[in-house]
This record gives sequence, structure tokens and C-alpha cells, in this order.
Amino acid sequence: MIYAGCDLGVAAAKVAIIDDNGNFAFDIISYKSPIPQAAVDAMVNALAKAGLTDRKIDRCLSTGLGGKAVPYSDGVVPDTICLSRAVREFNPRVGTVINIGGQSTEAFNIDGKGGVGESAVTDMCVAGMGMFIEVIANALEMPLDELIRASLGSKNPLPIANQCVVFAESEVISLINEGYDKLDIFAGVASAVAAKIAGLVRRIDVIEEVALVGGVAKNSIVVRNLEEKLELKLASFTGVDPQVLGAYGAALVAREGCDLRSETISMILAERFHGRRKQ
Amino acid sequence: MLVAGCDVGALTTKAAVMRDDVLLGVEVVRSRAKAVQSAFDVMDKLLARLALSYEQIDYCVSTGYGRSLIPFAHSNMSEISCHGRGAHWLVPSVRTIIDGGGQDCKALRVDKHGTLVDFRMNVKCAAGTGRALELMAESLGVDVSRLGPLSQEASDPIILNKLCCILTQIDIKRLVLEGRNRADIAAGINESAARYILQLVRGLGLRKDIAMTGGMAKNTGVVSCLEQALGTGFVKLPVEPDVIGAIGAAVLAVDGFRKSSGL
Repeated sequence: MIYAGCDLGVAAAKVAIIDDNGNFAFDIISYKSPIPQAAVDAMVNALAKAGLTDRKIDRCLSTGLGGKAVPYSDGVVPDTICLSRAVREFNPRVGTVINIGGQSTEAFNIDGKGGVGESAVTDMCVAGMGMFIEVIANALEMPLDELIRASLGSKNPLPIANQCVVFAESEVISLINEGYDKLDIFAGVASAVAAKIAGLVRRIDVIEEVALVGGVAKNSIVVRNLEEKLELKLASFTGVDPQVLGAYGAALVAREGCDLRSETISMILAERFHGRRKQ
Repeated sequence: MLVAGCDVGALTTKAAVMRDDVLLGVEVVRSRAKAVQSAFDVMDKLLARLALSYEQIDYCVSTGYGRSLIPFAHSNMSEISCHGRGAHWLVPSVRTIIDGGGQDCKALRVDKHGTLVDFRMNVKCAAGTGRALELMAESLGVDVSRLGPLSQEASDPIILNKLCCILTQIDIKRLVLEGRNRADIAAGINESAARYILQLVRGLGLRKDIAMTGGMAKNTGVVSCLEQALGTGFVKLPVEPDVIGAIGAAVLAVDGFRKSSGL
């Protein structure tokens, strides 16, 4: 049987395809604003990568901000459930998950039964989210990958005073005009974002190992800063793109099976996985 | 006596020139990266129009974020004092001034002489500022100047409940994709800006008359939201609302000149 998960987020559509034997294929399509069509395109690409273009998907679940808009989905699963499921699959020792999405940042513990325990979320301010880094990278007029790679060697990260990205953007532009090095500026921004994330994580009782998921997990300079600030080594996932974990988790939940005809799937799942978290 | 005021803002730079107690002219230009450049831009333009030269200006007060860098200014004052003084000079009954600037928004109180008594302003967050409005308008695909007129056509304003304008941008893009009415979104944008300005005004306490200054005052949608929430109309200022800081600086330059020449 073939199962799929689609995570339609703020910045990208992610699709993961699995079968009963643990084979795994995925695709990611990034965009500026969420488009349901991207979910379709990512699915087509992922099927091609899996070599399954002529096969029918037996069950597909969706998650993320645009989960409801995925046209081929059999049901929507909360992203915390997908993530805790996927993270445990790759690394059963993980106790705390930090998920940095485009539109929210959250830290939660996985309880003994694999459900979601204590959690902290921020979704009012972009400080400490992926979007913050994107806005600044835009102002620096350099591709993000290049900025990340090159700024890892920065010796003098510049402190960024502003927490608000709108103000930080003007601050960064002034710094460029004053002749400061773009890489030192970016290293300072990475440190500021990591500090903000660490502040959120400290609101819960962290259980090691700690996993970082979401697009920002690919940003090695933020990862390094976050490890320094939390004074721990983040769990590594070999052989999986951290951005695709939500979609992978949705596929795992699809494989485990649940009553998909029911419209209250998320409630059933919440009962099953959420434990003491309030709906 | 010929005096000038120069207000170097985050988005626009403004200048005003007065002879004694008469306003001769005002000018607005888009700010450039360096405050000094912007200040010379606007002064060059205004002085050329009035057929005056820098040497003829007896006293100049600068204000705004680049105020300490302006070579032709004799002294500088905070933009808060300048907005208070400017609005009070134009309409002496004014006691509360709501100033919606490019990167800040503030509410201030002046006494019957136009002297600053108390104020509140945004510190950490860009919500409720001109820049936030501009970004949100961009996501809607309209120029920021269209937000006011467009919102008047709204029948069912959409509530945008996120504090952060960058996150609101994402919401707006989604609403546009969903094909929601643009006028309703525009009204939601104005309402969200008004909501944060209102917090500042409530913190200060309300005393009439109220005037609104800064570029935000040009947005009829934000103004009517505020008037409705405060339950009172704003007084009409006889000039464009973005030049009031510069006029206030010029009025303060009159004081400065008198003081410096021992009058």
C-alpha cells in the first residue's frame, strides 16, 4: 500500500510518500504565498521520484496552515501530531521538539505515549521565525544559502538592536550604508533569531534529546547559535530533510490508519495523541 | 527674521520656511539613505522655489531621526515637541496630537502654550506605523494612498488579528488568493493600524481638541476608525498632515532665534 502526507505551509508545499516497507520519497516546492496548486505539483514530483507515477495512493493526509486547501487530502492532521510522530520514527530518544515554521514557532515535549505534552507557541511576532531571516536576506541582497554558508566564518557578528523585523530591516540597511560587512550583519541576525527561539524553548522543561524541525533547521548558522544558547547539541536526523518531517509524519499517521470517513478525524487523533493538551 | 524647520523622517523629509509669524512654504521629498542628503534635497528644493538662499535663513531647527547630523541647522529638537508645537500653532485649541509617522506612531498632549506635557509612543514594534501600512498595502496589491478611498467601499471589513505586519502580509496574500473583496481587506488593514494607535491614545488619556498629524492622517480610513472609537471628530489642520513637524520646527526656530540674539 502507498501512503502520502502533504504539508502546505506558509513558505513551501512538502509532500512525502511512504509504503509499508519504509521506502520514502519526497518533494518540496517553495513559494512566496501559499498556492494549493503547489501541493499538486509537489505530489506529482514526489510520485515521479518514487517511481510510482502509475500507482494509486491508498491514503493521504494533509497538515500545515493550508492543510484544508490540499485538494487530494483524505483528512487534516494537526502539525504537532505529525511532527512528534515523524521525529520519533527517526530518533526515538527525542523528548523535545522545536518547530520553526514560517508563521509560528513552537516548542513541545513528547510524552511517554508519543503524544504532545507541555508546549509553548508564539505566533504574534515574526521575531524568531523563518520569515525574519528571509526579510533580512532580502535587504542584504544575497541568496540565503550563500549568506548562511559564508557567514559561518564571521568573526565579528554585529549585535542587532531591534526585535521588530521592520525596524531591524532599516537597521540592517543603515549598517550596510555605514560600511559594515554583510556577513557580520547576517551572523548578528542569526544570533538574534536564535536568542528569540531559545527564549521560547526555556518556557518549557526541556527533555533531551532536542530536535529542531522546520525550514530553519537547514540554516546551519542559526542552528549553531541555538546550540550555544541552549547549551546542548541538537539531535541530528541523518538521511532526512528537516523541512519535510511534517509531511512525513502525516504519511505515517495515514499508514497507521484511522477512520477517514469521519469529519472529526482531528478530534479523534487529538484524543489519541494529544494527551493533556487542551483542544 | 527668516526661519526654517527641517524634519528628516524615516520615509519622507519635510521642510518649512517662515518669515516672522507667516508660513512662506513647505516641501516634502522621499528620504534617502543618508539623513544629510535628504535634508539638503528638501531645503534646496524649497529655497529655490521661494527664491531664497541658505545665508538668508537666520535660524533653522532640525528634527526627526537624523536631526543631529544636519549641517545647516542651528539646533535640533525632538519630533515629539515639534509635532506638538506645529499642530498647536496651526490650531491653538489643540491639546492632543496623534502622530502616525513612517516608523513610529505616538500620542502627545500639549498645554495651552503648545508645550509638550506627556506622550506615548511605540518602541519595539512597527504595528500601527506608516511602514506597516505600506507593507500591508503592498500585499493587497494597491498603493498605500489607495487604502483610504478603497476602504470606503467596504461592506464587511475583514478583521486582521495578528500584531505583526509581516505575518499580516501573509494573511492578506491568502485572503487575496481566496478571492475576498479587496475593499473589505483594505478596511481591515486600516482598522488594524487604528487599533494599535488607539492603545497609545488610551494610555495617554483623551483631552480635546484632537488633531492627527503625520502621513497616516492622510488615510481617511484610519482617521474615521479612530474618530469612531474615540467618539469625537478631529480638528481639521489647514495644511497637509505630514509637514506639521517641519512647521513646528520652524516655530521653535523663531524662539531659538530670539533667544540666540538676546531678544
